[in-house]
Parts: sequence; structure tokens; C-alpha cells
Amino acid sequence: MYLKRLIVTLLISNVYITNAQTCCSGGVPLSNNLGLSQEDKGTIQLGLNYDYNNLNTLNSGSETLNDNSRLRITHAILLNASYAITNNFSVEGLFTWVNQRRKISQFGNENLDQSSGIGDGVLLLKYSFPDVISTNSDLTLGLGTKIPLGSSTELDSRGILLINDLQPGSNAWDFIYWLSASKRFNFRPSLSTSIRFTYRNTGTDNDYLGNSTYKYGNEFQGFLSFSDQFTFLKTLTNPSISFKYRNTLKDQTGGGKLDNTGGNWVFIIPNFSINITPNIAFSTKAELPIYSNVDGTQLTPTYRITSGILFKIKPKPDVLNLN
Amino acid sequence: MKKNVFYLFACSLLLISCSSSDVNGDTPPDGTNNQWLIPISQVKDGGPGKDGIPSIDSPNFTTATNASFLNDNDLVVGVVKDNEAKAYPHIVLDWHEVVNDEINGTFITLNYCPLTGTAFGWESMSDGTRTTFGVSGLLYNANLILYDRNTDSNWSQLRLECVNGSLINNKPTLINVVETNWKTWKMLYPNTQVLNTQTGFSRTYGTSPYGDYSINNNRFIFRPEITNAALPNKERVYAIIDGDNSKVYQFSDFENGQIIRDTFNGKNYLIAGNEDLIYGFRLSSDHEDLTFEYDFNGTEAFFKDNEGNKWNIFGKAIEGPRTGETLTGAKSVMSYWFAIAAFYPNPEIYSAL
Repeated sequence: MYLKRLIVTLLISNVYITNAQTCCSGGVPLSNNLGLSQEDKGTIQLGLNYDYNNLNTLNSGSETLNDNSRLRITHAILLNASYAITNNFSVEGLFTWVNQRRKISQFGNENLDQSSGIGDGVLLLKYSFPDVISTNSDLTLGLGTKIPLGSSTELDSRGILLINDLQPGSNAWDFIYWLSASKRFNFRPSLSTSIRFTYRNTGTDNDYLGNSTYKYGNEFQGFLSFSDQFTFLKTLTNPSISFKYRNTLKDQTGGGKLDNTGGNWVFIIPNFSINITPNIAFSTKAELPIYSNVDGTQLTPTYRITSGILFKIKPKPDVLNLN
Repeated sequence: MKKNVFYLFACSLLLISCSSSDVNGDTPPDGTNNQWLIPISQVKDGGPGKDGIPSIDSPNFTTATNASFLNDNDLVVGVVKDNEAKAYPHIVLDWHEVVNDEINGTFITLNYCPLTGTAFGWESMSDGTRTTFGVSGLLYNANLILYDRNTDSNWSQLRLECVNGSLINNKPTLINVVETNWKTWKMLYPNTQVLNTQTGFSRTYGTSPYGDYSINNNRFIFRPEITNAALPNKERVYAIIDGDNSKVYQFSDFENGQIIRDTFNGKNYLIAGNEDLIYGFRLSSDHEDLTFEYDFNGTEAFFKDNEGNKWNIFGKAIEGPRTGETLTGAKSVMSYWFAIAAFYPNPEIYSAL
């Protein structure tokens, strides 16, 4: 029943998203939305999330300029799928659909450019080492790749190729390195703390604008999270709080580094999830910048909201055969 | 279990169906305005979007003595109209590219492309009506495409032509401008007004948004279709434009101040310059017999002739029997070499030998 309601709600909200005449979306959150938990062998997890990323803050270094005429929004629908090959080894995929929007409000006019379509995907292999650090702990290593599934040749309404920042895809393969660790505490087993590091070694689009190359800056992200479980109205809830540090190097095009790209950011991410059934959880989180120091002058994230559901499909337990 | 799988499958199908939706924005292509004089495949989205680089429509000026935000070596674009001199510093133009201004009752659009290093002044007119111009957010051969706010037509700056829209094929009416450093300009015109940084926009004036682009010969943000290795890509050259052809002059041709008489495309030109400033004139029969000589001593006079006339850099006689006469400014521009070579392929390069 719960599942039915959720599906219907999701269908309705999705139709609204695709038909919305208001603008807003920008920046595909690939590394952000990886990281389904390691489950027992044979478990399938499917996550479906909607991500809204709003960039409307113009910074010069760490100084915010008094100019909000430029708005970049990315709407993204994210489908995660993971399969536990063994109790320690899993494979995870992330597939995206994105709507990139750029709206300029200047001199009393508004100019909107946008593109939509299947975005890039990620394939990630992870191996967990339980209790290596201490009891009730996990250490996980992962290796993955970003697959350029998305189009990088979308045109605007006049037939002019949109800038790569507005394309659904990047036309480049990236390597992704993953390291995470978590620890549950003896005094309160439901309380856990975790760290996670991802490093994305970006590839190069060798057909940028038909006669050049483009490489997004390599990206490092580090997360520090605290989460707990509570029962609220007979339902299991999982509030958590995370701090994220993100560093990106400058992009490169035509062999030179591109000014006004790259920087350092710190975000706070409150997250709340609720277990609708033992195998279905709904979660929602916000990502709010608390420190931004960009290279040059750049539009920088204002806020991001992600909501979605996670399904776990566990294998049937082995039946003991007494014969 | 089967139910769950079904619902998940439905969600997946929904996601896939979303991918096939419209990808090209809200506005359908406009057949009447979608004709371009230039290959549309070579028109690039520069990134900031239309008006993402805001023009200055209410410019504020200050006097030379109060322009402490400028260093002597900072480049400015200078205009003189009816004895009123104005300077538009690159450090401001880098962030705005277009200034819609009025000088002594004449409405002008001063436009500058930081990626090609080219500045022009032209009358703020389109379709016979006063208008303002803005930054379209589009580039052709790495060069600025402006749009006029009267008809929304797109104008290629270095091509000097409307390339798209209802005014396609129209050409702007040019106003003579020179480009030099602040030290030279304020010597020529100490009473000049200077566009200041009180633009109404919050920007880090003085810090180039393009880093070392202006001096790094190997660096392109948008690579033009044609490149020419005859000179370093970012060498600033003075280019005379005639139809589809161009002839360029280098600062090295004008060391210690020089006057060059030259012929290009069957027309006679006089080019005056030194290490900081070059400007040229198309000579008419009235002036062809004069003998010119460099004569810049830190005042408005830049060269003189054998009749005892002194001429300023805009070709106006300011002393002597011909006072008030004006030489015809050449259709010309200071430009990075690569840009001239892209727009006017295989340009001639002046050589004294």
C-alpha cells in the first residue's frame, strides 16, 4: 500500500518536473549520489532520486558579489542500482536524466537556454573489509568509471551548439576512486560515524566544439557524517548530518587552464530518511554551502535538494532441507 | 516480491521515457530569423548567455586626474567627438564589452572583444532608429557577436556586419577610435573623461577574467576555424580592412615614431605610429602631395607636414594653414593577429624592405 502511494506520488511529481515552466537546474551530482550500503550477498538495491541544484551566487574568490542576474539550475533524476555479488563485494551503477538550465535576468529581460536528456552514468565496484579498523567498523575501497552516456551535442532553439556546461553529457570517461570507513559505537549501536573520500580523475573531450579539447578539473570530495536511528510514530527514522569538502582543479581547454573554474567549498548536509517498510526508505537532504572560495569569478552553488526512495530486494533465505 | 519488481520496472520505464523529451528549449526555431551570413556551425555559445555579460548603458566618467584606478600601461580605447575626448579602459571593458554612450549628442556604441583584442565605435542605430547594443553571448571565430535591442539582430563585431536577424547584411556606421595606453592617451588629451568603475555592476575591475590569455600565444578558449602562423597569435597588430582583405602593421614598424605611406588594394594610406599607438588614414587627392613627419612631443599633435600643419592622431589639422581639415580615418582596428587572420584570411603583412 505504501509502495503504491509512493509510486503514484513519484509519477505525479515527475510529470510536474518535466512540464514545469519555471526554470532551474545545474551541475550533475554524480559522485554525490553514489554509495549504496554493502548488503548481504544477492541483495539488490534500487534508488530513485530527484536532485535540484541551484547556482545563483556570484563569487570572486570567497567574496560574494552583489549580482544575482545569472541562474543555473540542474534538475536531475538519478537511478542507482547495486547488487551484492558477495557479502563484501558489490557493483553499483548510477544512471541519470538531466535538465540543464541557464537563465539570465538583465535589463528587464529574461533569457533562458536549456537542454534535457540522458546524462552520464557511473559504474562502481566496491569491496568492504569488515572490522579491519576495529569491531563494528567497515572499510570500503572502490574503483569506478564515469561513462559518457549523455549527449554533448545539444543545440539551442536557433540551432547553435550549447556550451558544454549546458550539455547533458561530458563526452569524456573519468576514473573514480573511492575510500570510505564507518564505525558504530558500543554505547549506542545505532549511532555511527563515517568518512568518505572520492577522487575523480577526469577525462578529456577530444571533440570539444569540433576543433578543440576540454577537460573538467579533477575533483576531490571528502565527507564526514554522523547518523543515528530513532523510532518515531512506530516508524524507524534515520537523521544524519554530513560535512562535505570539495576541491576541483581548473578546467583545461585547448591545452591551457581555464580561468574562473575550480575552487574549494565546504557544505553542510542535513539528511533525513524514514523506513516506510523494512525494505523501502524515503530520504531527503539539503546541501548548503558554508564556505566557498572559487578561482576567479564564478557562479557558485546556492543550495541543492535531493529526495528519493530506496528499495531493497533481499534474496529469499535458504531453507534448511532436513531430508 | 513480484509486485515490487513491477513497480520498480515502471519507475525505470518512466525514467527512460523522460530521456526522449524535447531537448532544445522552449522556443521553436524561427524560420524567418534563422538565416545566418556565417556558418551557424561556427557560431559558438560563449557560456555566459545573452546579457550574461552586461553592457554598460549608463556610463559614469571621471577626469584624468581622478583616474587613480588606472596604471600608465593600462590600455584604453579613445574617442574624440567635437573636441570631447573619452577613454574607455580595457579593465572595465573586459567585464562588459559594450558601452552605450552619448558624446555631444551623438549616440555611440563602444564595443570591445577581450578574446580578439578588437575595439570599434559605431553609431547606436539600427533600422534607422536609435538603439542600444548588448552582448549576445555568442561568438564567431572567438569574436564578439552583439545584438541590437531594437530588432534583436546579431552583429559580428570584426566582420562589421549584421549576420542574423531582420537587419541581415546591414553594416554599422563607424566612429574613429584609437587604442593606446593610458599614459599616451592622457598626454594627447589631458582633459579627457574616463569611464570609471562605478558601472552599477559588482565586478573585480583590474583583474582580467581571462588570466594570461592576452599574452599567451598558445592559448585559445575558443579556437577559430583558421589560424595563421606567420605572426604570434596574440601579437597586437594594426589592421586596415578593405572588403574581404586586410593589411597589418606591427609596432616594430614604428619604433621611435614613424610615418608610413603605403598602398593597399590600389588605395593610398598614411599610417602614423610609435611603440604605443598606431592609426592610419586613407589619403585623398587633397593630401597626397603633402610630406608627413612624425612629431609627437607629449601634446595633442602627433605628426606634421611640409606646409607647417600639425595633425592629431585622428587626422585633424590643429595648427597651420589647413587647421580644421580632416584626413579620412582608415577602416581599421587594433587586433590580435590570429583574429585578423581568421576573419580576413592571408592578410598582407607590411614590410619596409
